[in-house]
Parts: sequence; structure tokens; C-alpha cells
Amino acid sequence: MSALADRIAAEYAATAPALPPAQAARRRQALQTLLARGLPGVRDENWRYANLRALEKARFAPLPGGTVEPQSLPAPIAGWVRHVFVDGVYAPELSGAEAGPGFTLRTGAAARDDLPRSAAADVTTPATAATAAPATASPVTAASATTASATAAAAATARTAAGRQGAPAPAHRDDSFALLNEAFAADAALLEVTGVDVQVELVFVAQAEAAQGSSYPRLQVRLAPNTRARLIERHVAAAEAASCVDSAVSVDLGEAAQLTHLRLQQWLDTLAARVGRDAAYRLHLLTLGAQSSRSTGAVRLAGPGARLDVDAVALAGGSAVHDQVLQVEHLAPHTRTAENFRGIASGRARIAFNGKVVVHEAAANADSAQSLRGLLAGEEAEIDLRPQLEINTDEVRASHGATAGKLDDTMLFYLLARGLDREEARRLLEWAFIADLVAKIDVPELRRDIERSLARRMHAPLEA
Amino acid sequence: MAGRPGGAPPLPRERLIEGLDNMLNIEDLHATVGGTAVLKGLDLAVPTGEVHAIMGPNGSGKSTLSYVLAGRPGYTVTRGRVTLGGTDLLALAPEERARAGLFLGFQYPVEIPGVNNAYLLKAALNAVRGQRGLPEVDAFDFLALVRAKMGLMQMPEGFLSRGVNEGFSGGEKKRNEILQMLVLEPRLAVLDETDSGLDIDALKVVANGVNSLRSPQRSFVLVTHYQRLLDHIVPDRVHVLMGGRIVRSGDHTLAAELERRGYDWVGEAA
Repeated sequence: MSALADRIAAEYAATAPALPPAQAARRRQALQTLLARGLPGVRDENWRYANLRALEKARFAPLPGGTVEPQSLPAPIAGWVRHVFVDGVYAPELSGAEAGPGFTLRTGAAARDDLPRSAAADVTTPATAATAAPATASPVTAASATTASATAAAAATARTAAGRQGAPAPAHRDDSFALLNEAFAADAALLEVTGVDVQVELVFVAQAEAAQGSSYPRLQVRLAPNTRARLIERHVAAAEAASCVDSAVSVDLGEAAQLTHLRLQQWLDTLAARVGRDAAYRLHLLTLGAQSSRSTGAVRLAGPGARLDVDAVALAGGSAVHDQVLQVEHLAPHTRTAENFRGIASGRARIAFNGKVVVHEAAANADSAQSLRGLLAGEEAEIDLRPQLEINTDEVRASHGATAGKLDDTMLFYLLARGLDREEARRLLEWAFIADLVAKIDVPELRRDIERSLARRMHAPLEA
Repeated sequence: MAGRPGGAPPLPRERLIEGLDNMLNIEDLHATVGGTAVLKGLDLAVPTGEVHAIMGPNGSGKSTLSYVLAGRPGYTVTRGRVTLGGTDLLALAPEERARAGLFLGFQYPVEIPGVNNAYLLKAALNAVRGQRGLPEVDAFDFLALVRAKMGLMQMPEGFLSRGVNEGFSGGEKKRNEILQMLVLEPRLAVLDETDSGLDIDALKVVANGVNSLRSPQRSFVLVTHYQRLLDHIVPDRVHVLMGGRIVRSGDHTLAAELERRGYDWVGEAA
């Protein structure tokens, strides 16, 4: 067992008696499973890019929670009900009504905790997998976006044979951090939606440093059939130094339910979602933090006509690593996925997005479109995009593309030829690279917040 | 000034007025693209206030000349001198050339989704104004200015909020280039095949735009393959570019003669 696993075991032994007793057996089981499998490392196919070094300095025992000054929170949004968690623990004094028209939020023991683990672990890779070529670009390996693009597209077919031989190892460690969360989480939240036009914002504030302890946001979202909700899940840091946050979120959409789920900035994160018949899950992922992050997502399109739209934006600077794995499974006929990713890495930062779509035999007439694009904005930056597609049925429409490269020289020259500063032109083009996905955030107040924060980071223009 | 190999007819007029009176002065310009020599001793002088047309067959170096003047990376000057109003143009970065008053109208205007037209216009105008020691343009004045110029170019106001050239037709892109020129009021405009891809109505609109900006303080270089643009913008001089050099120069009637007799005739005569 690794030193890290030893320490987790020891901290658990010391902490467990103080944790809520209701879930004791489950906690123990989760810890044992985690330790038996071992922690993921660079040798695991789905973890080769993740930067988990911060864990070495973290204390794993959960924090007691606390409070923050209300004015330190993001500005409230009119018409939305806000609930706040500090270091993973519910803070009622900062929160709105726990029940409102069409929704109920339960926390603590009242949150019936049957949060499933990442569904990714259940999936074995069929031997006939067609694996698209990854688009990996660093300033050394990719001269331009077109080169990387052409390579990835051309190789998609050619690599089929190679995929057969070298099928990736089962992703059995993908739920490691969901297990860690389950073992240590001191609180949990269950949001049940039973109406339409529900607008809930959950703010998770990390205020303690990693050396003091970790926080384990644990959230379950359930939409009853024919309901409609928008959910903002915002993770913010109040600490100067790095915090250790390990979130586990599960989403279940009943028949014809519609959820827009806006997720802002995760650290360690596991998301598992199930989308029922004719339900629509719209997911916005914004990873803009200075601290390294790793998010593992698994979405199951379980009912006929289920639909997933993902728009993911990641910005990494300094030496941060933002690593995302998202597995989508088409399990029923007429299921649809539209997935867009845009990442910009500057400085010595690294961005990885591993988007896997599996179309199962039962998913006739499935439709999947993936577009992954990375922009290298630093000489030592690196971007790794892996669109993967496994098709096990004949009737399917699937497209995927991945491009990673530097700024487009013709665009840059055009702006310079109009007299713009080189630095201004670069920032403008970086902004333009993600602007279309940011524009799709249909909560104007939140979008403006994000644009302002992006503008600060990128010195980008907001308007003419 | 370097010699003129190849037996091209002499250009006494340009030689005589060489110097600070010229907006653009090019001497013995040699340039390579991807290691291949394209411009091979090009001489050209455009006096202040004049409109000159550069004509020539495909592959003669017309677009290379435009890009070399604007400073596009990959277009390497190996010999020669270029001045803009007496300033050494080749010593300047592309953005400095633009701020010094050079405007390149692109043959293929670049689409930049996510950057809106109004933003680019304003940033470009402020860059030029900064160079001239003027304050940044006020938002209200800017809109008034742009609206007036858009009216002249017969462009709907919706263009302002769209991405730069994003989804524009060929004609719309060319109008947008001229709109930018009208707003920036350059000292020298180099228009690279601005007429290509335009129907006759759009051609007239573009020509009107250019003509509206003609002034004794401003010069134009129109790079074109065909005569038809020159029916609407009558140039002071026409030059024939072949094999990387100016091989013949004349007044506007030269364009008509080229149209009638083709470029082979010049090649043979030269």
C-alpha cells in the first residue's frame, strides 16, 4: 500500500468515530474498496494527466464547517434560491428556504444518502472498440491547429485496428475520489425537483487550507418526471492557500425532465448522471481555477430519446493541470449527445480532456457529435484531447473532431494589420476561442459574472 | 536606385519624382516566400495623392507585394528598400505599419468568430488615433462615424454586432474591408484584388467607397487582375507586374490595352 493510502487509512481510523453514525457501514465499505483497489496513478489510462500531488500535503479528515461573511460570496441572482455550504457542511444562516415551489432541499441525516458511484466503473471496454486518435499538442509536437486537426481526423478510421489490439485498461479507479468522499463526507445534500421553473444555486465555499483538513461536498439531484430546473453549482475558494475539495455529485432525470446544470470550478470531482426517457440534460462545465483540478464524469442516457448537451470550458495558467474525463453512454434508442470542449493553456499549464462516447447495442439511431478544441497560449503549455468513440450498433450517427494548436496566424496577422497591439490581438483571439460557449450560458447575471472574471484573467474585452 | 535588368521600358516619371514627395517608394525589392524568390528587383514610386494600379497575370507576385508591404510573416525581404512617407517601412512591425498609416485590404478577409466587428473597428481606430496623438474615440462619436460610413457602403447596422467577417458572403467581406478603410483613413491603402468576387452592383459600392476617400494627402495601390475595377476607380498610373518586377508602366489607357491584348503581349514587348 502506498504511503498516501496508509495515511488515508490512519486518518479514517482516527476520524470515523466523530462522523455521523447513520452511514457507518457504507463509509467503511467505501474506504475498504478504495484501499483494496489502490489510488489511481499515472499508469492508469484515465489518470495519466491528473495532477494529484496536492494530496500529499492534504489532511483527509473532514472539516467541521463554519461560516463566511455574506459579502464574500458571489452576488445573489434575483429569482434564484441560494444555499451555501462551507467546507462541505451546510450553512443554513447563509441559505434561503429549504423548500419552495417545486423543490425541496434536504441536508445532513435527512438527505437519504444513496448516492451512486461513478457509472464509469461498470463499463467494460468491448474488444471491438474504435478509438479515435488523440490530438495531443505541445509547442514541440504541433505546429498549427490544422496539422493537429488533420492528424486526428485522418487517423480516426486508421486507428480502429490499433484500438482492437490495445484496448484501454478498464477504468476501475475512476470512482476512487467518489469513494474517498463517501468515506469522509460529514454532510450531504439532496435536491428534489417536483415542479417547473425551479432555479437553485448551490455555493460551496472552501475556506480552510488543505493542511487543516478536506471538504467533501456531496450532492444528489433528482428531477421527477416532467419537471424542469436550472441548477448552479458553484465551487469557490475563500482561502489564500490551496484547499482540498473532493466533490461527489449525482443527477437523476426522470421521464421528460429537463435540467440545466451549470458547474463552476471543481477540484477533485466525480459526477454521475442518469438521463431518463425523453429527458434533456444540459451541462455547462467551467473550470477556470488557479489550482489543479480533476473531474470524472459519467452520464448514462438510459431512456429512449434522452439527450445530453455538454459545453465545457477550461482555462489553465501557471503550472495548473485541468484534467477532465467524461464518459457518455448511449443505452437506449434515439439518444443524443452534443459535446463541445474548449481549453486554453498558458504558461506551463496543462489541459486534458478525455471524452468517451459508448453507443451500446440497444441504442439504435443514436446520434453523437463531439468537438474538442485546445489552444496553446504558452510556449511550455500542453493540451491533450482524446475523443473516443465505441459503437456497438449499426444504426448510429456519430462525428468527432479534436484540434489542438496555437493561435491562428492568419487571424493574428489580420488584427495586427489593423494596428492592434500584439498582446491585445492575442487576448482578443483567446477570448474569441471560448466566447461562443460562454455565450450559451443562459443565466445573464451568471454569464456576466463569468465574463468579468474571464476578462480579469485574460484582460479580454467585454464589449465594444 | 538599382539598375533595371530585363530590358523593361524606363520609368522616367517615377525616377524624377523620387524622394520625400512620394507616399510610397520601393527600390530594388526582392522577396521570397517559402524559400522561393517571388519579387526580383521591384521598383515603384507612388506620389502622394495618386492612385496606382498594379496589374499582372496570376503568379506574378501581386499578392506577395501586398503582404510584403503589410509585413506578413513568411514573406521575407532579401534586398531592397521601402519607405512610407519617408519612413523605413521594412523596419516596422505589422501593427506599427498600420499605425503609421498603411492599410491592407485583404484579398481574402479573415473570419474571426467571437470578435465582433464593432470591437475591432474601435480598437483599430484607437490604435491609429493613439499614434496620431489623439485621445480614444468617444463611444457616441464612434457610432455616428461608423453609421455614416456603413451607409455609404450600403451595409445594414446588424453587421456591427456580428463576428468579424463571420459568415459574410464574398461581397460582404470586401465591403467590410472598405468600411474599415473608411473609418481608419489611412495615408496609403493597398487594396489586394478587392474587386474579385464582386458583382457589378457591389463593385460600384466598393468603388464609391474608395473614390470618396481619394484626396491630395492620400495614396492608393490597387492590385487587380482585371480592368473592370479601373473603369470605376480611374488610376493615375498603371503598372504591369510580371516575374517579380514592374515591366511596363503607363496611364489608365494601359489597363484597357492589357484587357484587349492580354499579358503575353507585355511579356513579348518586354
